[in-house]
Amino acid sequence: MPAFLAAYDFLLVSMVLAAVLALSLYLPLMAGQLSLASPGFYALGGYIAAIISTKVFPPAAGLYPVPLVLLEMAVAAVASGVLGVIVGVPALRLRGIFLALATIAFVEILRVISLNLDVTGGAIGIFGVPQPFASQIHYMSLAIPLLVLCMLFAARLERSRTGRALVALREDELAADAMGVNPTRYKVLAFTVGAMIAGVVGALSAHFINTWNSRQGTFDTGVSLMAFVLIGGSRTFVGPVVGGLVLTALPEALRGIADVGGLPGWLAQFLRDGRLIIFGVMIALGTVFFPHGLITPALLERLGRGRRHRVEAA
Amino acid sequence: MSRRLASPVTIVSLIAVLCGALVGHAADPIPIGVSVAQTGPVALAGQEQVLGAQIAEEYFNKRGGVNGRPFKLIFQDAGSDEATAINAYQNQINVAKVVAIIGPSLSQQMFAAGPFAVRAKLPVLGISTTAKGIPQVGEFVSRVSAPVAIVAPNAIKAAMDINKNIKRVVVLYAQNDAFSKSETETFQQAVKDLHLELVTVQTFQTTDTDFTAQVTNTLNAKPDLVIISGLQVDGANLVKQLRELAYKGLIVGGNGLNTTNIIPICKALCDGILVAQAYSPEYKSKINDDFKGIYKDRQKKDPPQFSAQAFTGVQVFVEALGALDKKSPIAKMDLAALRVELNKQLIAGTYDTPLGEISFKASPGGEIVQKQSYVAQIKMDPGGTSGKWVYVK
Repeated sequence: MPAFLAAYDFLLVSMVLAAVLALSLYLPLMAGQLSLASPGFYALGGYIAAIISTKVFPPAAGLYPVPLVLLEMAVAAVASGVLGVIVGVPALRLRGIFLALATIAFVEILRVISLNLDVTGGAIGIFGVPQPFASQIHYMSLAIPLLVLCMLFAARLERSRTGRALVALREDELAADAMGVNPTRYKVLAFTVGAMIAGVVGALSAHFINTWNSRQGTFDTGVSLMAFVLIGGSRTFVGPVVGGLVLTALPEALRGIADVGGLPGWLAQFLRDGRLIIFGVMIALGTVFFPHGLITPALLERLGRGRRHRVEAA
Repeated sequence: MSRRLASPVTIVSLIAVLCGALVGHAADPIPIGVSVAQTGPVALAGQEQVLGAQIAEEYFNKRGGVNGRPFKLIFQDAGSDEATAINAYQNQINVAKVVAIIGPSLSQQMFAAGPFAVRAKLPVLGISTTAKGIPQVGEFVSRVSAPVAIVAPNAIKAAMDINKNIKRVVVLYAQNDAFSKSETETFQQAVKDLHLELVTVQTFQTTDTDFTAQVTNTLNAKPDLVIISGLQVDGANLVKQLRELAYKGLIVGGNGLNTTNIIPICKALCDGILVAQAYSPEYKSKINDDFKGIYKDRQKKDPPQFSAQAFTGVQVFVEALGALDKKSPIAKMDLAALRVELNKQLIAGTYDTPLGEISFKASPGGEIVQKQSYVAQIKMDPGGTSGKWVYVK
């Protein structure tokens, strides 16, 4: 186990962070809003943490205090929330593909700004972000509670009045409006909460990957997040979480297969070099065979029923 | 397979796979990791690096490897992003148990992955990481790629040798390209340090095709020298339009123009562009002739800088291992001690490589000291359809 953790500590934490980030994209999608703005807030959160930890509290000897990391996460949440409202109110007047385009533009604007500011380190970015933990696996002590909190929040939300309002908006905005659901209010709410989650993940990630630059949280990240949600399943919060965990692990797992002894050399090399090809094929097959994603509410219900049967039998 | 089974099966097989990765190697050859960009937007450079490293593996193993013991390169794709570079590093350090790592390809990736090497106390060598601050990442991070701050000003000095009367300089750069933006800062600083007059700075986008505004502003400033930091297509188009509107002075290009791919774009008007280089195929030495010979046999062209730097990276580790082995046999050291001692030996040594003679600074530890520096100039044939780089320095 220690050897496994030593080799895969970074990957395990990235999987958890990806799952949380996927939830940030899932929330606006609950209201039927295809927003790709999450990477922008993720980038913002990362810059906030990187700037606070390298410039405001310059690194001293030893480990960086964990309470300061929590403070950075809080600042990132507030900043992303405020920006979320400012961007959300005008942007969410757009629908469908136009909203997606507007949010892509938003991410691009943030990227170009960070590329041109001195405080963000220009093209090179900010490096030497101090470490709060002696080992990467200890990041779990922040990442796991964050994931659990976000999942609990999403689970409660799906069952609450607000959650139903969001689903009503997704299914038919006109009808929902006629029933007294205020579309703008609920859409901006879902968008802003998603933005805050993304900002918090960004703040933690800046420490986690030691550096932050304009290549983090770009349109590419948005596409990956969308894959997490669509492959995982977009009708229940479990979907994005599973999607984030599995799809982050998959390319590295293929690298792992290559290291299993006894494989012919060419196959091992193909698994290493061609792992993204296999990854792409699996995503394509996934969308063909699981059009609603791996995890659907129906599947969860069946699993739940199975469990109840077992409990009754016992 | 029923749909109900599908996802538990996926998860179980995933766990099996991750556990399978635990089975380590116990190979006799000394494992050296190479983690460069084999996928993603940087893969073009990464491919050239893989070629250079493979040539070095064969070449030095044929000559006895490390005092008779062969070494083996372990390739793990570092992708073009930070997370993949870290994953590749973790795999090299903990699963493949290499003694040292070469790569990743980008400076930003090194800033992310470097601290992992520092924590694991294993020497790593950047072969194309040219940003400021790489050796400062930590004790175990070194590089054989001369920083952009050292290389870029050489081209301006070469231009001043060609035209002694250079005074007024115009700088143009692609605003939306990360590398061009950092490179132009170096150029602008060098212009000031060389006591030239920076008359105007013009910006463009890598997607631009019409540069009339920038060219007009440039010509109005009456420059003796124009310095361009951009990518191939936009940079070459800019050169073309400058010449078409009768700019007669010298042009210095940044690293983005360091390719013969610009020739089809600016054709005869490419003639005379100066670009600084960290490597020259023309450099006369036994090792460079050997390297160039093997590369030419396989690729039918002169080796590019990235391949030469990758070759050099492997060479530096092999020679450092050999020197260390002579002091105290490495077969008797455990892996942790070997990594630490190898890092000390690496920085202490001097190496005769295809890049020329190189050594490392003690402070900041691991910064390259490269004796030779090169500047090349494009010479076009009279027809204006083909041309080549001629080394002027």
